[in-house]
Amino acid sequence: MKQFILSFVALIFFVFESIFAQLFAGDAFGDDKILVPHFMMIFIFFLAMYGSRKMGMLYGAILGLTYDVVYTEILGIYMFLLPFLAYLISKCMKILQNNLLIACLTAFIFTAVLELVIFQMNTILSFADMPFGEFAERRLLPTLLLNLAFIIVSCYPLKRLFEKLDLQGDAE
Amino acid sequence: MPQFFNKKLLLLLVSIIVLVALIGFSLKEREELTWPEQFLKDTTGWVGNVFNKPVSGITGFVGGLKDLQHTYDENKKLKARLDEYVLLKTQVQDLKEENDEFRDNLKKEDDLRKYSSIQSTVIGRNPDRWNEMLTINKGKRNGVEKNMAVIKSNVLVGKVKSATDFTASVQLLSSIDKANRVSAIVQGDDKAYGLIEGFDDKKNLLLMKRIPYDKKIKKDSTVITSGYGGIFPKGLLIGKVVDVKVDQYGLNQTAYIEPATDLYDINNVMVVQREVGGVADESDGEDEAE
Repeated sequence: MKQFILSFVALIFFVFESIFAQLFAGDAFGDDKILVPHFMMIFIFFLAMYGSRKMGMLYGAILGLTYDVVYTEILGIYMFLLPFLAYLISKCMKILQNNLLIACLTAFIFTAVLELVIFQMNTILSFADMPFGEFAERRLLPTLLLNLAFIIVSCYPLKRLFEKLDLQGDAE
Repeated sequence: MPQFFNKKLLLLLVSIIVLVALIGFSLKEREELTWPEQFLKDTTGWVGNVFNKPVSGITGFVGGLKDLQHTYDENKKLKARLDEYVLLKTQVQDLKEENDEFRDNLKKEDDLRKYSSIQSTVIGRNPDRWNEMLTINKGKRNGVEKNMAVIKSNVLVGKVKSATDFTASVQLLSSIDKANRVSAIVQGDDKAYGLIEGFDDKKNLLLMKRIPYDKKIKKDSTVITSGYGGIFPKGLLIGKVVDVKVDQYGLNQTAYIEPATDLYDINNVMVVQREVGGVADESDGEDEAE
């Protein structure tokens, strides 16, 4: 049952990201800014922090692979990156104080790291043709603002969800 | 403990190797996706379809309200152009009849312009926004195949990158990918051929490269597909020229083209199949200039 609820929520996040991109792809926020939703990744980060590390990495790998196959068609990038970041974030939480504000900030920083790494990967694979300054101004900043807003809205419900499901017990 | 650490390091190394191998595998030109990929795409496509219906209903309503605001102005403008339109329509009708007559005389049946189309709805978009791709709700079962042209109200927006049984991925013209090229013509007294490749996403302009340096290209001339790539029909509108630059060695020109449609706000598209087949071997895309 726990697994069922968890995978259902994960699926919703997965689809929601695409719908969000579809709805707000245009100039919904004015100018030439590009907002990239990383809601699914935030879900995984919180899962790794408040659920268990193992679950975080497992869901990271599965969702990452699905993301690669369905959306980007370049296999491997998200599949590798998400479990890796989930691992790092749960390590970080061992060191840092375990309160909601710190958790939010950590998730925020990891979103920035994710966006940067994805940018680098796409530059290497020549799918991106953008100098760093432009990237920072047009993509990174708006993306981070959007995801920060999402983290603030969803941190408490996500925390409650994972604590209620009590994944620590059976997965570790 | 050191033993344990080594194990993790080993795992990291192995996964990096797998990562590189997977990227290499997926970047190479593939005729068809592997079946796990197809299965995943079909499944998520189905889920996307379920979610898409209510969402598009709501956005349709909101969009309708927004449109209502502009209706008055638009109406005024359109009325002003109505006379022009009637004139144009009779002319087109006349030319069409004449064209048919000539074709009949020549007994020429083939026409690169002719195509049949498949109506479909966009059910997803790549949230990652690097490789601009859409997912549509028609697949091989409906006759969609790799490399077909995709249009939105008669304007070319992209091509089918891969198709599964029930869904297909469309790569937009704005996607920066070396393999994403379309053979095109700049219309005018002196026709100029070139390739649409690349996108300047700061100014939202498509780049049309490899136009011979001696062609004089006027601003505001229309750009259409040439149909010489083997797959796309001829005469699909792409956009109009806003700027021309000579490239760094002075051998070619690059035209900056404003797309005739918004490449971001896409909800319904048509997949287009040309009636005249291409050369059988030329299956790997639109990369021939002339």
